[in-house]
Amino acid sequence: MFGTAKLIMVGIMVTGLAGGVAYTYKLKADNEMLKANAIKMESAIDEQKTLIQNQKKDFAEILETNKQMNLLINNLRKDIEALDKRFNKKDRDIGKLAIEKSKVIERIINKASDKAARCMEIASGSPLTEEEKNATKKSEINTECPSLANPNYIPY
Amino acid sequence: MLTLTIFLTSCAGVKELSIFKEEVKRQPLALEKPTPLQMEKIQWIIVTSENAEEVFKKMEEQGLDPVLFGLTDNDYQLIAKNFARIRNQLKIQNDIIDKYKDYYESEEETKE
Repeated sequence: MFGTAKLIMVGIMVTGLAGGVAYTYKLKADNEMLKANAIKMESAIDEQKTLIQNQKKDFAEILETNKQMNLLINNLRKDIEALDKRFNKKDRDIGKLAIEKSKVIERIINKASDKAARCMEIASGSPLTEEEKNATKKSEINTECPSLANPNYIPY
Repeated sequence: MLTLTIFLTSCAGVKELSIFKEEVKRQPLALEKPTPLQMEKIQWIIVTSENAEEVFKKMEEQGLDPVLFGLTDNDYQLIAKNFARIRNQLKIQNDIIDKYKDYYESEEETKE
């Protein structure tokens, strides 16, 4: 009777000890896994930081591009307004002027037409000439599209 | 104690963290931009009731057919404005293409 109880007690102790050893191994394995996970998390955090930085850079670029496009559209609108002004400045009637000074107006129109053709070339991607780039005076600019042809010209 | 041991060793485990990342880039379209326009020079002639005869005579002398395709002064203004609008649209479209190219293609180059 006493022998059986002793055996059961020993059995329980051995099982407990084995369980403890197994648990320790499991804890060790878990610890290794946690370390590996921590390393992965750190690298993931770094990647996320890089991603956020890239996104910030992209947003800044998008804003800048939109700003440039709005500026271009405004400048082009000003060119059209300037053209309209040239035709109608101080109740100017180009028809009457053409009757009175046919030769003069013909010369002006042909000059303007050549300039407008050059504007079309620039708008389609033709590179600016040095003369166009360096024009800063009214007498040097392409009056049909100064915003396209003469980037260094500041209206005065 | 046995029950407790079994409980602790079998159920509560730490799972391995998996991070998936795979990005396959599309091939760039890389279309060539069209050659810039080269415009032809055109000649405007102003014809009034007074100089019409002189103009046609001059055209005949120059070996040109004595015929003109005309516009009124108002229509001349309108055609000038129409061309200016087409030109502006062309410039805007061209710039938009350039900006898209800069935005997407320059980014790929820096990443590579």
